[in-house]
Amino acid sequence: MTPTFNGYRRANGRVGVRNYVAVIPTSVAASSIVRGASEIGAWAKPTPHQMGTSQPPAAREQTERVLVGTGQNPNVGAALVVELGTEESDAGELADQIAETGKAVETLSIRDAGGTRLAVKRAKEILKDLNEEVSLARREEADASELIFAAECGGSDATSGIASNPTVGNASDRLVEDGGTASFSETPEFIGAEHILAERCVDDELREHLLERVAQREEMADMMGVDLRGAQPTPGNQEGGLTTIEEKSLGAIAKGGTTPVEGMVEYAERLPTGGGLVLMDTPGYDVESVVGKVAGGAQVVAFTTGRGSTTGNPIAPVIKVAGNPKTWEKMSNNMDVNASTVFDGDSVEEVGGRLYDTLLSVADGQHTEAEKRGLEEFAVNEVQPKQIAGSGVGR
Amino acid sequence: MKGLVIDDVGLKLTAKDNVATALDDLDAGRSIDAEGVDIELLEDVPFGHKFSLEALAEGDKVYKYGEVIAQTTQPVEPGAWVHTHNAESTRGRGDLSEVGQ
Amino acid sequence: MSRSDSPAGSDFDGYRRPDGRVGVRNHVLVLPSVICSHLVAEEIAEQSSRAVATPHDHGCAQLGADNEQTKQTFLGTAANPNIAGTVVVGLGCEHVQSDEVAAAIDERGLPVRELSIQGEGGTDPCIEEGSIAATELAGNADSTRAAPASIDELTVGVVVGDFDDSTLEHANPLVAELVDRVVAAGGSAVVAGNERFVAHQSAVRERAAAATLNDVDAMFERHEGLPPRANVVGRAAASADADAALGALGTNPIQEVLSYGEQAPNDSGLAIVDAPSRFEEAATALAAAGAHVVVHVTAEGVPAGHPIVPVLKISGDAETLEALAADIDVDAREASADDLERALLSVAGGQETCTESHGLTEFAITRVGPSM
Repeated sequence: MTPTFNGYRRANGRVGVRNYVAVIPTSVAASSIVRGASEIGAWAKPTPHQMGTSQPPAAREQTERVLVGTGQNPNVGAALVVELGTEESDAGELADQIAETGKAVETLSIRDAGGTRLAVKRAKEILKDLNEEVSLARREEADASELIFAAECGGSDATSGIASNPTVGNASDRLVEDGGTASFSETPEFIGAEHILAERCVDDELREHLLERVAQREEMADMMGVDLRGAQPTPGNQEGGLTTIEEKSLGAIAKGGTTPVEGMVEYAERLPTGGGLVLMDTPGYDVESVVGKVAGGAQVVAFTTGRGSTTGNPIAPVIKVAGNPKTWEKMSNNMDVNASTVFDGDSVEEVGGRLYDTLLSVADGQHTEAEKRGLEEFAVNEVQPKQIAGSGVGR
Repeated sequence: MKGLVIDDVGLKLTAKDNVATALDDLDAGRSIDAEGVDIELLEDVPFGHKFSLEALAEGDKVYKYGEVIAQTTQPVEPGAWVHTHNAESTRGRGDLSEVGQ
Repeated sequence: MSRSDSPAGSDFDGYRRPDGRVGVRNHVLVLPSVICSHLVAEEIAEQSSRAVATPHDHGCAQLGADNEQTKQTFLGTAANPNIAGTVVVGLGCEHVQSDEVAAAIDERGLPVRELSIQGEGGTDPCIEEGSIAATELAGNADSTRAAPASIDELTVGVVVGDFDDSTLEHANPLVAELVDRVVAAGGSAVVAGNERFVAHQSAVRERAAAATLNDVDAMFERHEGLPPRANVVGRAAASADADAALGALGTNPIQEVLSYGEQAPNDSGLAIVDAPSRFEEAATALAAAGAHVVVHVTAEGVPAGHPIVPVLKISGDAETLEALAADIDVDAREASADDLERALLSVAGGQETCTESHGLTEFAITRVGPSM
C-alpha cells in the first residue's frame, strides 16, 4: 500500500499541498505593486521579478512560460496577474493559460486602475475575494504518486555528496517506487558526471539530448571567454572542500537516486505526474532553478545544503536538508532535516526514510523553517542577448 | 555512508579512489593507517577536504567516487592536502577557448 | 521653492558628507550582496529607521564580466552621495562575497558594516545583528539638512523610456534644456539608453569629447552583434533619426562614457552610461554613477521609484497623465524649463516625489551573461 497525504485536489486533477493566491507581475514594472498588494496576508504569494516590459522574443517566451507555469502549479488555488498595461506580454493571455487548470484567475492593469496607489488598493480587494473562494477548498486523501518532488542543492560542500544528496536520492527512489515523479536539475552540475546520468537514460534520443544540454552549459563559459571556475564551484563550495565542478557534480547527481532517467524537460516546462525520474535543464543558480521546477509543477522541494543556504520559494515548501554537522548546529533555525547523522553512523536508507516521512508531512501541511520565516525568493532565468546572438534565433 | 572509513578519520568512497575525505579537522603531522600503509599528513586538512593516499605525478588524475574529479598541477605526496592549489578541473575551460574573446 | 526664496548663494539644503559631497537624501543602505540575503536585508531595513534596502536577483552563478558588473554596481550604489553608510549583507557561500564588497566600500572611506547569514548562524540572528549595525550607522550620520548647496553640486540622472510622440515633442526638449542648465551651472548630468547610442554611433562620436572616444568605441564593441535588451526601444532607436534618439542629451559635448555601475568622476559635465532604456535597470546605473535625482521620461507611466534616489517622473502622454495622475510629477506638455528646474531643486531640498510618496521601489541590475 503506497503512502498517502492530504492535499487540495484541483479541477484538473492535480493535487496541491498548499492553497495560495499567487500574485504574478507580467514585468518588473508591475513587481513593486505586486509586493505592495501581497502584504494583505500570508496567503497572498507574490512572484516579483526583474524581467523587462519588452524583451527579445526568446527571452519573453521563457519569462511567460515561467509565469504561467507558476500560476498553474496546484499549490496555487487562484491567481491575480498584474501588468502595467504597456508590456509586450498580455496579462489576459497569461491569465487564460493559467485558467486552463480550472482555477479562478483575475487580471489587473495598473494604468486602468488609475496608478500605483489605486492599483494596490484594487489588487487587495481582488485578492481578498479570491482568497475567500480559495478558503473553501478542503484537503482530501491523495496518493504519494501524485507528488512531483523537486530536488535542489545549494551552498554545497563535501558533505553534500556524502550525506545530504544521497539522502535525497534515497527519498527520490522511494517516491519513484511509489509511482511519483522526482525531478532534479542544475545542468552545469552535471559536468563531469554526465556519463553516469547518460547510462541511466531510457533511450538514445534522451541520452543525446542530455549530453547536448550539458555541452551547451559548458560552452557558456566559452561564450563569456572565461574559465568556468569563475562561477563553479563557488567560493563557499571551495571552502567546504569541493575542488572542481566534476567533484561537485558527482556529489550533486546523488540527489537523483538510482532509478532510470525517464526524460529531460526545458526550463519551466511541465513535469509529468507519475513520471519517475525526470530532469530539467536549468542553470545551477539556486533561486532560478527552484523557480523552474516549481513552474513545472513540483509541489514540494528538498534542498540540500552544506554551507547553509536559507532560500525558499513562494509557491512550494522548501525542505532544507543539512549534510554538514556544523551547519546543522549553527543554523538549525533555518534547517529542517539533519542528514549529517550519516557521519555518525546512520545509514543513508534510514535518513532517506526520515526525509520521505518529512516530505509527506510537509505535503500534509507541516510548515518548513523557510515557510515559518517567510523566506520566499523568486527570480526568472533571463535568456541573455549573448545566448540569442550565439544561437541565431529568437531576436 | 558509502565507502571505507580509514583509521576513523578518512573516507575513501570507492576502491579506485586515490584521495580520502577528512571526517574531522585533521592536523599536519598526524599519522594515518590507510589500509595497512602508514601515511603522514603533510599539512592541516579541514573537515570535508581531501588528502592524497598515494604519490601522484604532475598531470595525474585524481579519483573520487571512482571517477576523475581533477588532474594535479604539481607532484603530490601521500598525505598531502589536495585542493585548488595543486589540482584543477579538466572541464569548462573557456579561458583556453578562442570563442568569446 | 524658487531660487529667490533660498538663502543667498544656495539652491537647496542637503546633507554634507565627510568627503565634501552633498546628498539630497540621507539613507542608511542595507545592501544584499546576493539574492539569497535580500529578504534578510529588507527585514533589517524595515526594522531600522532611515534604512533602505536594495534587493535584487543576482550575486551568484555569474561569469566573468557579468560578475564584475554586479560588483561594480554594488560599490557605486554604496558610494552614492545620498547614502550615509552601508550595511552589506551576504549569505556566505556566493561568488560576490559580502566581505569583499564591504572592503571595497571601506577603501573609499565610506562608513560600512558587513555580516552574512552563514556567519551569524542563520537568518534570525542576521536580522538582529544587521538592525543593530544599521541603527549604529544612522546614529553616526547627521540627521538634519544642515548644508546649503548649489546646483553645481548636483548630478542629475536621465532615462527616457520610449519614443512616443509625446516624448519626442514635449519631454525630450524639456529634459534637454534642464540638462543644459545643470551642466552650464557647473553640475553634472548622466544619460542612460545604450540602444540609442548604439543605433547612432557616428552622431555619438561627433558629440563626444576627444578624450572619450576610446570609451565610446569600447561601448559599441560590447554591443556588437547583440540584440537590444529593451526590444521595442531598440527597434525604435534604429529607425528614428539621431536627434530623436539622442534628444535628451542637450547641447553639451559628452565628457564621460561610463560602464554600467561605474561612478562618474567629479565635475564630469555631461556623461552617458552604458545602461538600457529600461527604467529599473537604468535608474540603478544612474544612482551608481552618482546621480542625486533621476529624471524619468515615461509615456507609458512606469510607476516604480528607486530605493536610494528620488525619481521625477515626466510624461507628455495625455492618457497616462490622466490615468496615472498621482504617479507623474511633471506634465511635459505644460511645464517650462523653469518649472522643471524648480522642481529639481525642490526635490533636492527634500520635497517628496510621487514615487517617494507611494514608496514602491525597484532595484534591478543589468546582466551581461547567463546564469550558471
